[in-house]
Amino acid sequence: MALNILVVDDSNTVRAVIAKTLKLTGVPINELLEAANGREALQILQDHWVDLIFSDINMPVMGGVEMIQQMKQDDVLKTIPVIVVSTEGSATRIEQLKAQGVRAYIRKPFTPELVRAVVLDIIGETDGAQ
Amino acid sequence: MEPNNTEILFEVVSGVLEAQAFMFADAAEKGDIPPRDGEYYQAKMTFVGPFRGTMALTVPMEMCTEMAANVLGLDMDDEQAEEGAQDALKELLNVACGQVLTELAGEEPVFDLTVPAVTVMDDETWDALTHDENVAAMLVDERPLLTGLWIEES
Repeated sequence: MALNILVVDDSNTVRAVIAKTLKLTGVPINELLEAANGREALQILQDHWVDLIFSDINMPVMGGVEMIQQMKQDDVLKTIPVIVVSTEGSATRIEQLKAQGVRAYIRKPFTPELVRAVVLDIIGETDGAQ
Repeated sequence: MEPNNTEILFEVVSGVLEAQAFMFADAAEKGDIPPRDGEYYQAKMTFVGPFRGTMALTVPMEMCTEMAANVLGLDMDDEQAEEGAQDALKELLNVACGQVLTELAGEEPVFDLTVPAVTVMDDETWDALTHDENVAAMLVDERPLLTGLWIEES
């Protein structure tokens, strides 16, 4: 199944790096969508079906935590797995995010291998490359 | 700043620079930093948690373009690398700041970080940085990189 993936980060460079990393992982991608903050992401989610979201936490306008909280208010959006990609290393923060429904946490800088493993784990496929 | 804080700054920033942008830094004494030549960018962000403060990175503009080119896998003269120069510096600071805070405070405390902002460095600020005990200096292919961490007294 090819995935529709939404990448949410205020940095064009980071969005480009995540997009490039996803392509390197070999994970089948149908459509790669981008948003510069949580509000833009919620708007995109109104018009597009998305299978997986990669999101930063600290962003202007609307951060990742507020975006996730708003997604939880919607019966459809709350089912979309969110992977947080952030610089923060606090175990407490990671637990808080997981308690709010975040499926996985990837700390920057990351490798394509880690991203692939996390995505395959979420979509329930085994990694035939290993 | 404790002397080993500048060591932490060097270890973290040089490590992130290597991992993200494939660039290698050597530690330097601030007195050995070559005179300012050309325009510099400074990225700065603040953090609030068990303690609060500011972290900054200051580098020549053309080094930011090289960082962006390396991060994105582009040639230096690619328009996208030039456009991404400030973004690449902000991201380097963002990642380094998260790692420095973990080094200083461990993995339990929660810090709120601001979004990094970039300004063009003026001569006065550059001179102040080169005399600031909170600043660590390094050289990347003979080009200076200054990184500072200012922790406020609680």
